[in-house]
Amino acid sequence: MIVELGHYALVLALILALAGGTLPFWGALRGDERLMTIASTTSIAQFVFVAMSFGALTYAYVVSDFSVQNVVENSHTLKPLLYKISGVWGNHEGSMLLWALILVLFGGLVALFSDNLPLKLKALVLAVQSWISAAFLLFILVASNPFLRLNPAPFQGRDLNPVLQDVGLAIHPPLLYLGYVGCSISFAFAIAALIDGRIDAAWARWVRPWTLAAWCFLTLGIAMGSYWAYYELGWGGWWFWDPVENASFMPWLAATALLHSAIVMEKREALKIWTILLAILTFSLSLLGTFLVRSGVLTSVHAFATDPTRGIFILCILCVFIGGAFSLFAARAGTLSQGGLFAPISREGALVLNNLLLTAACATVLVGTLYPLALEAITGEKISVGAPFFDMTFGPMMVPLLIAVPFGPMLAWKRGDIVAAGQRLLFAFGAAMAVMIVGLALMGTPSALALFGVALAVWLMVGALSEIAFRIKLGRASLAESWRRGAGLPRSAWGTMVAHFGVGVTVLGVIGATAWQSETIASLKPGQSMTIDGRTLTMDGFVPISGGTFTGTGVRFSVREGGNLVAVLEPEKRIYTVQNMPTTESAIKTFGFSQLYVSVGDIAADGSTVVRVYWKTLVALIWLGSLIMTAGGVLSLSDRRLRVGAPKPARRSLAIPAE
Amino acid sequence: MLLWIAMAVLTVAASLAVLIPLGRPTRATSANAGAARSIYRDQLDELARDRERGLIGEGEAEAARIEISRRLLNSDAAGSGTPSAPQAYRIERLIAVVAIPLIAIGAYLYVGSPLLPDSPFASRQAQESGQGGVDELIAKVEAHLAANPEDGRGWEILSPIYMRLGRYDDAVRALGNAKRLLGSTAERESLYGEALTRASGDVVTEDARAAFDKALKFDPDEPRARFYLALSLGQSGSKDEAIAAWNALIATTPADAPWLASARAELAKLQPTSTVPPDAPGAPAAPGPTAEDVAAAAEQSPVEREQMINGMVAGLAAKLEADPTDTTGWERLFRAYMVLGRTDDAKASLARARNQLIEKPDLLAVVEKSAHDIGIGKD
Amino acid sequence: MTRKQRRLTLISLAGIVLASAVGLVLFALSDGITFFTSPSDVLANRPSPEQRVRLGGLVEVGSVVKEADGLVRFAVTDGKSSLQARYVGIVPDLFREGQGVVAEGKVDANGVFIADTVLAKHDETYMPKEVVEALKQSGEWRPEDGAAPQAGNP
Repeated sequence: MIVELGHYALVLALILALAGGTLPFWGALRGDERLMTIASTTSIAQFVFVAMSFGALTYAYVVSDFSVQNVVENSHTLKPLLYKISGVWGNHEGSMLLWALILVLFGGLVALFSDNLPLKLKALVLAVQSWISAAFLLFILVASNPFLRLNPAPFQGRDLNPVLQDVGLAIHPPLLYLGYVGCSISFAFAIAALIDGRIDAAWARWVRPWTLAAWCFLTLGIAMGSYWAYYELGWGGWWFWDPVENASFMPWLAATALLHSAIVMEKREALKIWTILLAILTFSLSLLGTFLVRSGVLTSVHAFATDPTRGIFILCILCVFIGGAFSLFAARAGTLSQGGLFAPISREGALVLNNLLLTAACATVLVGTLYPLALEAITGEKISVGAPFFDMTFGPMMVPLLIAVPFGPMLAWKRGDIVAAGQRLLFAFGAAMAVMIVGLALMGTPSALALFGVALAVWLMVGALSEIAFRIKLGRASLAESWRRGAGLPRSAWGTMVAHFGVGVTVLGVIGATAWQSETIASLKPGQSMTIDGRTLTMDGFVPISGGTFTGTGVRFSVREGGNLVAVLEPEKRIYTVQNMPTTESAIKTFGFSQLYVSVGDIAADGSTVVRVYWKTLVALIWLGSLIMTAGGVLSLSDRRLRVGAPKPARRSLAIPAE
Repeated sequence: MLLWIAMAVLTVAASLAVLIPLGRPTRATSANAGAARSIYRDQLDELARDRERGLIGEGEAEAARIEISRRLLNSDAAGSGTPSAPQAYRIERLIAVVAIPLIAIGAYLYVGSPLLPDSPFASRQAQESGQGGVDELIAKVEAHLAANPEDGRGWEILSPIYMRLGRYDDAVRALGNAKRLLGSTAERESLYGEALTRASGDVVTEDARAAFDKALKFDPDEPRARFYLALSLGQSGSKDEAIAAWNALIATTPADAPWLASARAELAKLQPTSTVPPDAPGAPAAPGPTAEDVAAAAEQSPVEREQMINGMVAGLAAKLEADPTDTTGWERLFRAYMVLGRTDDAKASLARARNQLIEKPDLLAVVEKSAHDIGIGKD
Repeated sequence: MTRKQRRLTLISLAGIVLASAVGLVLFALSDGITFFTSPSDVLANRPSPEQRVRLGGLVEVGSVVKEADGLVRFAVTDGKSSLQARYVGIVPDLFREGQGVVAEGKVDANGVFIADTVLAKHDETYMPKEVVEALKQSGEWRPEDGAAPQAGNP
């Protein structure tokens, strides 16, 4: 009964999405307020129904109800409870349901927490959101229904893949989806503004917290996915420019651009058309990512043709929403009023440069992702576009952007003084040059490119700190005065500083892990040693391990530095007994921000095994930097002025949900 | 019934989501225009703060103040929509009360299965235990093995069932575990190789070949291993060697062996003088010793499969009736009964073993011990 | 600056960024991409030693030799021809003889494939499309035609 009720709730949600997409829209055109308020109630109801539906499916997984086909295909009674639950979204149908759940969640949040949005704008935003929900709910019910039943029911499920039983993999998709789907809100705001024909600074302020929240989730989700690939796949790599990774990275780049252009619009009412376009682009890239990942088109263009229903359905959604949005944009963009003026050297100018470089970088990633697909579809020739392509295109686009980052916040609005800004950044420039010169003296010219990267990272970090130091007059006023000024600075300013600092940290990690990683491979027997980067690894011997569902062998290494034992590492070869499936578990030990990464191959008959050791310089900074960026986003989000519909400082009880 | 009531409640809730706003008076419109205005006032406040702190020059501050004030005025001028005149909302109410429930129920009845009850695993286990469909029996054995993955005999019992059901990958791991836990024998190695071969679509892979080679080390006459090795030679293109291998196998095979026909067919395919039509089945390795059984099992209904398994057990029991000295046979039978949940039969067979082995206390001791290990009579 | 000049500055900035992006992409596409090939393709049309290639096929049966210090020598076959390959490192858990493999690297002057990445999908039934086609062809091989596939027995 619970399963069928969940199924029915899903149908109801679809019907309500249709009602919520049409009635308020009609109301907004006629100026009928009662019809417009329907948008709020139906949005909340949609969330309640889809949540019930998702709960019912989760229940079916938890109790292993094998009369549900989806459970049979993706679960097994012997799975631990956590992985039974994560199995709900570990498959196509369930993940689409999660997608829809997050979509209506955002709709419901706007309905509940945007009381001070003009009624018409709110009705239109929710109507657009309802249309997106309706499309995806229809897709789920027609082409990927997780509630299809089997009678008679099989007695056991079919999936018990140990590689997929991982905590990181369990929470990665929901995080990523919160980011992906969160972009739908800025899209809905953009479409509503185009329909309404009114778009001003207030619009940008309403849209910014939603974009910021989605951006935070997207940043976290991408960082987590990267860390999972790093420790689980055993290759020691943290980013592969894989199309699936690109699918989430492109919306991130676009959302980052949107975040910045929305500031210009909020403060100066400039870049209106561009901001609207970015909002549409960001969600389009999310949809494109969903299409690429879900249609099977990535494995091969031909795989897409073998099971076309789903792919074509999502392709239709893609065309309708992106095509519709761009047609509307083309029709209405000309009617939008001209915004504020600014000189090329100004805060606005810096943000325009940021936007140009980010979108151009995003375009190169898009080309690299789609080109092989297009080529295969047209000529049948199969190519793969990998890291070398992206290193050559994406890297050079990022360098000018990163150099420009510290200048942005230092420039005044409308007309900036680049010389003054440069003077304030003199210390950061000095620090970067010092690092470069000392590094060159110590390591010589071969490392020049890497040292340039490090100098860039130092420039970013010190530059971010300098900006705050300047703002609070650190060193130019008494400490008490600086403290007072610091406390008085809006949190969004602190957020900017923290996020830009985080970019520097990530850049440092990327450079360190790319330029100074060392890697050694040796075939060792117990008692033998190898050295890497001044550390000696001695293979002590084999340890039998057993953990319930698997047995295997751990290989114990002691790591010595100058004769002192600094770590004991134990990478494993596991065999999951029930599946008779071998897996490799690498062992990682963190020293400061650098990591020692050890994985082992098969153990040969004579007791020797191939050992692969990486020394990953500063690699942990990559993810630490992402966390710092996210923290900056959250800090900015907590800024009182950004809270949705908080008209006066006194009304503190109104909080936005993402806090 | 409960389902229909719950669905009715949900439907009413859905209708209300549309109906309630229609009947509720809305707030004054001015509150909405206030939203934009409050943002601009906030911007003016911020500007004042920045100016106080000297973050912005006087001239720029003044320019910005004028700009924001202009926006403030604009937002006032834009005002908001006209308040709605009281209306009947006949169409909208009709949509809420009639269209939403009808479309929802209609669509649901099209895609849903309202008559199918939930069947959580736990309640099904309680309900169906003892009646035993094949799937359930397998699930039970799998659960038992998951709890005791070191039970090699359990894996060995399960493997032929997997093979007959066409679950070759499962058979590979079951046999792999049996081999690991109980040690290699000619039979286990060749069964393992066969499972590997079947799992990879009747291609004798390197792993499979290694298993067959190992089987022949234990027993150079193991027919299954010889059969597949001959097949492998043919697949790898070593035609002459393959023909020799087939001939050798056929020469030493008893005339009533079930795989003889398959071997002859394979041989015929290799010989150029063959009368086999050129469009003979593409996959060269189709018929192995159990090919017919497997084909039959694949087409069987669950009931037939169950009969097949029961038939296998009954066959074993009959064999022991004739030759009670086979202690491993007894152990296998006990275990089969236990994993199938037929504890009474297990006890009965133990009693029979005691009767028949009364003359041979040493053998009986072995049988008693295995019965004890398996847990017969414990409960 | 006049309004017109400001706009011109912005447009030319956008133009420069766009042009450099397009330039970079074109340059990288001529150099940074990898072609997906099969052993037969490589033998028929050997890529230059600088050209990165993604090689798909089956690990030829009996060809894997693991030497000291992690050097693995193996051959990749598509049922028609086979190509010697070398890889230094730990091969994936599912790297086995007779199984599908995708290797990335370059073909050296001696025609040996030097792989820097070896992938075996986490799916035991995975086979590159080309291999499946090649296998289908060898399945249709008939004794009368006389041409036996010489590449081992997958």
